[in-house]
Amino acid sequence: MVPGWGSAVSSAAAAPAAAARESNARRNVEESQALVLLRGLPTLNTVHSIAIVELNPEAKNFGAILQEVELPKLVHPLHHLYYSPNGRLYSTGLDPKCSLAEVSLARNASGTAVIKGVKCLDTGGQQVGEDIIWHSVKGKEYMFVTFMGGTGLDQPDCGSVGVFDPQSNALIKIIQARKSVVAKGAPYILYPHGLSAYQDRLVISSTVHPDLKTGVGNAITILDLNTFEPIQNIVVEDAKPVNFSSSPVEVLFVRPGMVAGVTPAVLVNTMFGFETWKIPYNEADKSFGAPVKAYDGVKASTGVPLEFYGNQTELFVSHALPGIVKRYKLSGLPELVPSGPDIKTGAGAHHMIFFSTASGRKVIAVQNNLLNLGNAADNDPTDVDFIAKVNDHSITVHDLQTGERLAKVSFKDRYKKGVENVEALFGSGFVHHH
Amino acid sequence: MATGGCNKNPRAATPLTDFSAPFVFGRFQVPVDNPLTEEAVELGRRLFYDPHLSANGKVSCSTCHIQRLAFTDGRTTSVGVSGRPLAFNSMTLANLMWGPQRFFWNGRVATLEEQTLVPLQHPDEMAQNLERLVTELRKDAKYRKLFEKAYGETSRAAIIRALASFERTLVSANSRYDQFLRGELTLDAQEELGRKLFMAHPDVKVSLRGANCIDCHSQFLTGGSSARYDGFSNNGLDDEAHLQPGLQAVTGNPAHRGMFKVPSLRNIALTAPYMHDGRFNSLEEVLDHYDRGIKNSSTLSPLIVEADNRGGAASGRISLHLTATEKVSIIAFLHTLTDHDFVTAERFSDPFARK
Repeated sequence: MVPGWGSAVSSAAAAPAAAARESNARRNVEESQALVLLRGLPTLNTVHSIAIVELNPEAKNFGAILQEVELPKLVHPLHHLYYSPNGRLYSTGLDPKCSLAEVSLARNASGTAVIKGVKCLDTGGQQVGEDIIWHSVKGKEYMFVTFMGGTGLDQPDCGSVGVFDPQSNALIKIIQARKSVVAKGAPYILYPHGLSAYQDRLVISSTVHPDLKTGVGNAITILDLNTFEPIQNIVVEDAKPVNFSSSPVEVLFVRPGMVAGVTPAVLVNTMFGFETWKIPYNEADKSFGAPVKAYDGVKASTGVPLEFYGNQTELFVSHALPGIVKRYKLSGLPELVPSGPDIKTGAGAHHMIFFSTASGRKVIAVQNNLLNLGNAADNDPTDVDFIAKVNDHSITVHDLQTGERLAKVSFKDRYKKGVENVEALFGSGFVHHH
Repeated sequence: MATGGCNKNPRAATPLTDFSAPFVFGRFQVPVDNPLTEEAVELGRRLFYDPHLSANGKVSCSTCHIQRLAFTDGRTTSVGVSGRPLAFNSMTLANLMWGPQRFFWNGRVATLEEQTLVPLQHPDEMAQNLERLVTELRKDAKYRKLFEKAYGETSRAAIIRALASFERTLVSANSRYDQFLRGELTLDAQEELGRKLFMAHPDVKVSLRGANCIDCHSQFLTGGSSARYDGFSNNGLDDEAHLQPGLQAVTGNPAHRGMFKVPSLRNIALTAPYMHDGRFNSLEEVLDHYDRGIKNSSTLSPLIVEADNRGGAASGRISLHLTATEKVSIIAFLHTLTDHDFVTAERFSDPFARK
């Protein structure tokens, strides 16, 4: 090849006819895609998996699984998904072989998100992973995980909190204080599920033995993060509408980082008490006040309150029975001041995500399943009657402002699987989960 | 865009499969009419490094975009075929698929394909006549074969698309900070302090010290902001009397005077000198500018005006009031953004170089 291929400048400048392309490129088509954990249903011969699903109610492929990675080696499925502050994706798990895992995501040459794999982490024998938070103590970041089965389901008073290095995932400490081991009257940890932290105080709930029959809790436990030791139990129980202990499930430490100027307090949902409790917190002397019932499900004809989620202006609480999401003013916290009508979803209303559709409509997508334990109608050996009534096996999508249901995908009908958890594909779409 | 159509379908274009990008960088989209293929990228790489693309046969894209300098050239402002200094400092080429909807310091083009045309034709840069270039490329058997495989024809559109395709593959994702994000290492105490300062807007009410970097450099790992003109800012380089047009040259909007593209900070330790006109020779000079060198003007970023670790912004004196230790720590953090794999990777290197 010879040098000097001419010197004149072409007058045919590039006409930027790229406006449409530019507009399309800016639109985040991924916003309406969700990660879901799917549970294989034994009578339907399906396998547990993790999948990416389209949830845009305006899309022709609404409800389509865009990618799915099956987990055939697990008897029990993965349970809850969480993004770390650095954008790493984790999942707790119900199978003893995989109680905590990191999910690897990447993008291919077309920009499409791809689930690369699931790596089970060493939990030191802790089982039935539930919730995760990342919290800084004395300038050092930790990953805290609740394990409802603690170090063994054979223990009638099982339960532990695992403390992990958020960089290496290495287990740093197992916090355990079984009732049968600690001194009588001493603070204990029992079947922990929900957890939330503010400054040097970590609050965990005491829910139910994972076998759902050995025992049920009725208190929360306060841990001092200076020592990583439990320092107090607070009972949150009043009515017993189903003759069980109250079974506190999710907790939310309402704090100034969530609502500017708020007086800190702990909110607790009791799964079998059908109540939401408020426990005042005195930041000056680090004392917790007497619990006050903030919401009475028996009076309101709702049951099994589960999750707390929030966006910039509202707090949302899911109630598995009859399947609704209640909404409150974020600025009104720690009091539960209604901010709008209930969103009627489906039996088992549980986890949720928020996003905008391609047309700009703000929506909420709710996973309607309590535990996916099957259904008597299927002669499912894992059936538990109470639980089966709160499993719609669906995700419903609703207009966030009006609550109008826009679309529904039944995972049982369409994929012969239950839906265990939903999380927005890129980030959570909410700001106050725990 | 008027790149013309590639009329023939390539017979053997192979979708790029040996490609993986970090999920956390976010969604990107490749133009439907220019998918990433093995053949396009191979062709684009060859064109990128070929000086025959310029009028005098001495200047290639890589003249101003040198791999070991993270695809910058180390000059205050670049120099092309005319020998005259260009108006701007050479911009790094990395992670261009994420974010930028406007390219160049003043945002004068909207797509990567369009971007490739500017230096090719600019009289001071490569001064090439594209029709003549196509004619010459068609005479070359090697290029004829590469074009045929990639696009089915040798054409102006194919040149542009191939160059854009190669540039899209310039993914930098293995700096120490990337490894930190993946959990593969822990930053040392100095780097960690720098990271925290980088991420924080100072707030004296809660005793939070910050360097205010993230306010503008929110997309510091990738190619810039994804919003149309949001990724442009006046960072206080010049006073009112000396403000350069910047983005105003493109939009005509006086409110955009003095605003330039907020660049990626990836590999920033390798891309001196800094700013659109290369006025700062070191990161220390850059930090000194942000700490006590800000010049006020009508379009100065309000995020800069109000950032003061002593809470004195209301006094009218603009300063971050960082300590010497803090500045050193921020620079240590910026060094964690250096991706040695990226600047040495053979797949990004000069294919004409002797092994």
